[in-house]
Amino acid sequence: MNMARFLDALSRVPEELTIHIIMVLISLAVAIAISLPLGVLLTRPRFRKLGALVMNILNIFQAFPGMAIIALTMPVLGMGLKPAIGALVVQALLPIARNTIAGLYGVDPNTKEAAQGMGMPERKVLFEVELPLAMPVILAGIRTSAVYVVSVGTLAAYIGGGGLGDIIVAGLNMLWAEFIIVGAGFGALLAIAFDRGLSYLERKFTPPGFIVTE
Amino acid sequence: MSNLLKYMVENASIILDYASTHFSLIFSAVAISLVLWIPLGILISRNERLASIVLGIANTIFCIPSLALFSVFVTIPFLGLGRPSSLLALVLYAMMPMVINVYQGIKVVDKSVIEAAKGMGMNSRRILREIQLPLAAPVMFAGIRITVVMATGIAAIAAYIGERNLGRLITEGLTRYHVEMILSGAILIALIAILFDNVLGAVERMLVPKGLKVSRSK
Amino acid sequence: MIELRDVTKIYPGQTVPAVKDLTLKIEEGETCVFVGPSGCGKSTILRMINRMIEQTSGTILINNKDIRETDPDRLRMGIGYVIQQIGLLPHRTIAENIAIVPRLYGWDKERIRKRVDELLELVGLDPDETRAKYPAQLSGGQMQRVGVARAMAADPPIMLMDEPFGAVDPIVRGHLQDEFLKLQREMKKTICFVTHDINEAIKMGDKIAIFEKGQLVQHGTPQEILSNPKNEFVRTFIGYDRVVKMLTLFQVRSITKKNSYSIIRENELANIRQKMDDEQSTVCILMNESTRPCGLITRDDLEKAGEVGPEKIKEIACSRKDAFIDGDLLLNDALSLMLEWNCDCLGVLDGAELIGVISLNDIRECVRRKEGA
Repeated sequence: MNMARFLDALSRVPEELTIHIIMVLISLAVAIAISLPLGVLLTRPRFRKLGALVMNILNIFQAFPGMAIIALTMPVLGMGLKPAIGALVVQALLPIARNTIAGLYGVDPNTKEAAQGMGMPERKVLFEVELPLAMPVILAGIRTSAVYVVSVGTLAAYIGGGGLGDIIVAGLNMLWAEFIIVGAGFGALLAIAFDRGLSYLERKFTPPGFIVTE
Repeated sequence: MSNLLKYMVENASIILDYASTHFSLIFSAVAISLVLWIPLGILISRNERLASIVLGIANTIFCIPSLALFSVFVTIPFLGLGRPSSLLALVLYAMMPMVINVYQGIKVVDKSVIEAAKGMGMNSRRILREIQLPLAAPVMFAGIRITVVMATGIAAIAAYIGERNLGRLITEGLTRYHVEMILSGAILIALIAILFDNVLGAVERMLVPKGLKVSRSK
Repeated sequence: MIELRDVTKIYPGQTVPAVKDLTLKIEEGETCVFVGPSGCGKSTILRMINRMIEQTSGTILINNKDIRETDPDRLRMGIGYVIQQIGLLPHRTIAENIAIVPRLYGWDKERIRKRVDELLELVGLDPDETRAKYPAQLSGGQMQRVGVARAMAADPPIMLMDEPFGAVDPIVRGHLQDEFLKLQREMKKTICFVTHDINEAIKMGDKIAIFEKGQLVQHGTPQEILSNPKNEFVRTFIGYDRVVKMLTLFQVRSITKKNSYSIIRENELANIRQKMDDEQSTVCILMNESTRPCGLITRDDLEKAGEVGPEKIKEIACSRKDAFIDGDLLLNDALSLMLEWNCDCLGVLDGAELIGVISLNDIRECVRRKEGA
């Protein structure tokens, strides 16, 4: 273990970590901004059939490996941070959309009916009944997405996107264990941090006395 | 498009070669995972405290970015580049979906069915073998399905640590900026993943015991 | 024969025992019903007998052998166990479900096959129709019958039943209870039956054990408990209609008077008062041409009617043409009918033949006699 190399690797962390976090946050934000409304829309009674169809399509795409998606965006969008974010958004869309739809479908119809029966307008039912009750499942989807994006984000290094992947790749190319361990270590920590953080949010948003089944 | 097909046809033998390496990695990983994780899942279904510890570990491992895990194993002298590191990483990733599906599959079996069976004098081994496992089979198999599909994708990343599989088409293609190469790799891997998902999904549905599919109208 | 001696059960982390110092004996061939409000410990006691739960202290003996000396699985194979949720294996056919314990015993296929068909018939299900079906294809009542059949498969001498008829509607439940009583009259198994319904307890039990908060409050025959409730709790648990409940223990047949009535034909109606005085009867049955009862009239009716002709008398009598009941009817139902037809007397039939009458006073006397006991 070479101390100098180790310090060298560490010195790169602040920049790459920041880039990585920005990558993840922007991708998640865009993905949520698209998937959440889309999920809500597709579960409205008018669009029920379309919603079921989209669910089927999303289920098929769920099987798409992350590396394939990154690889496929390169010819289309080129190299760099922005294309990487583009690829990550596509990755992140799926779990969030699926879970939004599943979470909303999973709300007890009796609860909705009771609310409507009391005279609640549709919009209120959505925001005060459906979304809060679906929130644990939706957050679980965001959590899955976040972890996934951190992971695939390491591959962004291969299309010039930067991030912690850069440190790892440098380590792999030169077989410098110090670089690998620093890059991989921070990558792992970042992923775990997102996972734990969003888990905590999930628990906070679960109404007391509520059991979430997947 | 025609360029793509031309490329694939011209390099068919290499592609097939890569494909077989890809499959051998997936199947070895799944085989080892079955042996390790199914018994573990059964074990923790009987012990809640152990369950939360084991599931916590599995979850943590699952979060680690695949490139990161692969690379770390490369630094370990026993493992290094290639198959050993890839295999170990895949097996570790499989822990989460497999253990949790076995655990949940068993837990969800109707408690009154088990109570009645126990009250009749069936011992725990029998109950596991004749009741819990058959009823949990579909959910457990779903875990296997998820593992296979996941492994298909992650195995591609192993190309970066020396595996000569379909992922290589992507990695080499990116380096050389050979678009047809990239596309053929990405599309093939995606197609294989989708194929596995659907075929195994059909098997999963077949595993549902007949008694659970019928209803009073029949 | 089941014996519990000073049995106590305290669940870990609890201070109040679920069952406290229980001493109880259940004779062979007896049906003992454990009854009490929710949480009184009755199910806990049942499940200690087949070691699904281990007692904290005390001894449980079956046929004078401590149950702890037997391997639990072996013990349970020898005891029939029926639970409220039934718990049929959903992935096995009805035949396979019933065959579980025989298979554990290692019976051969032929013997099992015969036994399955035998049991299905016994519980009132068509073997050909039912044996290959799956539980999801049966109704609640059918599933409950299969549950009982399954428990009896290896012909265990003891059966433990925890609210076995609870999951069906009251009409089906009544049928299941009747059929089970009929079976028990032939089989004479030792049965421990748990219910929260005092009416079911009175109907099904040779003896009733009433529990409150883990303690045995009263143990005796339905008769004993109904006529002598030990304390306020038992009294309240039985309900205000305690006496009427006691009437359910007796049939009309047992208090029918054979000689206190007159028979009269339509053409004799003019002399009805004379006839009743001569025969010293208080009630008169009107017979039609085919000597079948078609009306009933009492001395009180005649007095209230005053000076009226045969036409009016016939009208009064025939308004009661349905006031005839079968000898097997229970006294509480007879009482209800007396109130319904506003008549103190009812004619008693055996088939279509008149065998006597009963009156409200007869029922009162019956109650007075039993209350003294």
